[in-house]
Amino acid sequence: MAALRSRLAFHGVIGIYALLCLIPLIWMVLSVFKPTGEILQHPLALPTAFDLGVFGDAWQAGSLGRYVINSIIVTFASTMFILVAGSMAAFALSRLRFAGDRIMLAFLAAGLLLPIQAYFIAQNQLFEAVGIKDTRWALIVPYAAMGLPIATFLMKSYMDSLPRELFEAARIDGASDLRIYRSLIVPIIRPAMVTVAIFSALSAWNEFLLALLYVQNDSLKTIPTGLLAFSDRYSTDYQLLFAALTIITIPMIAIYVAFNRQIVKGLTDGSVKG
Amino acid sequence: MKPTSRLGLLVLLAPAIALYAFAVLIPLLGTFAFSFTRWNGLGSPQWAGLANYLRAVRDDIFLSTFWHVGVYVALTLVLEVLVGLCLAGWISARRRGGSFYRVALFIPVMLPAVVVAVLWRAVYNADFGLVNSTLAAVGLESWQQVWLGQASTALIAISIVSGWVFAGFFMAIFLAAFGRLPSDVLESARLDGAGELRLFWQVKVPMIREVMTIAILLCVTGGIQGFDLFYVMTNGGPYHSTEVPTTYLVKTVFRDQEVGYGSAMAVIVTVVGLLIALGLVRLRRREGATVEY
Repeated sequence: MAALRSRLAFHGVIGIYALLCLIPLIWMVLSVFKPTGEILQHPLALPTAFDLGVFGDAWQAGSLGRYVINSIIVTFASTMFILVAGSMAAFALSRLRFAGDRIMLAFLAAGLLLPIQAYFIAQNQLFEAVGIKDTRWALIVPYAAMGLPIATFLMKSYMDSLPRELFEAARIDGASDLRIYRSLIVPIIRPAMVTVAIFSALSAWNEFLLALLYVQNDSLKTIPTGLLAFSDRYSTDYQLLFAALTIITIPMIAIYVAFNRQIVKGLTDGSVKG
Repeated sequence: MKPTSRLGLLVLLAPAIALYAFAVLIPLLGTFAFSFTRWNGLGSPQWAGLANYLRAVRDDIFLSTFWHVGVYVALTLVLEVLVGLCLAGWISARRRGGSFYRVALFIPVMLPAVVVAVLWRAVYNADFGLVNSTLAAVGLESWQQVWLGQASTALIAISIVSGWVFAGFFMAIFLAAFGRLPSDVLESARLDGAGELRLFWQVKVPMIREVMTIAILLCVTGGIQGFDLFYVMTNGGPYHSTEVPTTYLVKTVFRDQEVGYGSAMAVIVTVVGLLIALGLVRLRRREGATVEY
């Protein structure tokens, strides 16, 4: 009896909380199937027909495909750079002793705390001066740079936890550092790389402030700034807006549900262990 | 180990150092240097000494951004960290039946903040929004508000959206921490007759104090840097009532072209943020590690 009551209380309270959290998303999806007039008149009414054509309209009207492609390019390039440059630096910092290694570690630790406000104003001027504003580089470069400290730090602690003998044996066999990196480190730190890839990719995918400031050209915008432009252009066509929101949201939720363990671990490790 | 060759070491380190120096360190020094100039970003900067800093400490809007961000951080500590802690505590206390909530409550964390903000702008819409139409449906028309359009509710409304996103994130952090607790300690506390509620507050929460401090640090530093939700939902309005440091910086530099003044405010915001972060980190050190992370 007591067990049943506690189970009811649990599912009652947390269930209602979860429902409240999901309702905005449910409302968003249902509103896609109502003409804007109906959304304004009867916002809570259920749709009477499910016409999927509106997704095509929103995709076309908002050139969402372009924004998605831009986001994929920017996210992929910055994440790859973070993985390669970060793991190489992490290897050097974890396993090699050299002049200045402590200073580099200190810089790395400082980089973990540095807020974006500390540098974005002059970064904008610098990017203007070297002529990369309004190109994809204006996003790839800062996303890669901002992701480096935490990525390097995570991969370094992963390597720190590996047994020393592993590296020394390779060294005795006559392998150079670069060779050890290529044939020993890269395969062995794959779990840490997955974590790094997940949160680097997601923060690049979702980044907004720099994308807003550095890219004005509509054909180069990423999903966040592109969606904002869309919502300004069709500020009264709510059906189209809800369709665009749904197009962006549902695939992300689907990917998340499929890989939720890795993604939750990647995102929480990425922030907590930094 | 000693590096096998200097060239090899250089190859390993150069890409990371070069990129970080170019995109972060040089701009960091640049922002500091700009803060002592009067500059519109185009012509040549003019030396202004401390004039920008003196102006900042007398700028009522700038000072009010710290107040707003303080209220925002206080509210999100409750709506994100405390709610996340309670959710994690309750879900972890049960053997089964929690996995749906684990997965579902984390969903908003995945979504771009702009998508969240545009969606919630509609949810808060005074005419057809989900909030007001639900109030009307249950006969509470008198409770309807122009949620984002009036100073008395806008900041709270934004904080709720932030809680909607991040409560699930902190829940996941705490669930992971609870999962690492040694089960014999919990079992023996149960055998001593501690109920689940007492076990939670008096055993489990103290044992994850370190993770708590990290969560608070994340919430506070993240809050001080807050921008996306504010920019899209109110852009600091109405009448600067939701103006936070970063929205004001962006207006000053990118709309008013006051690069020097914006840089000085950026330096102040950075220093204040770092001092708070370091204070929290020291607090965490002093308390000592109860559970290793």
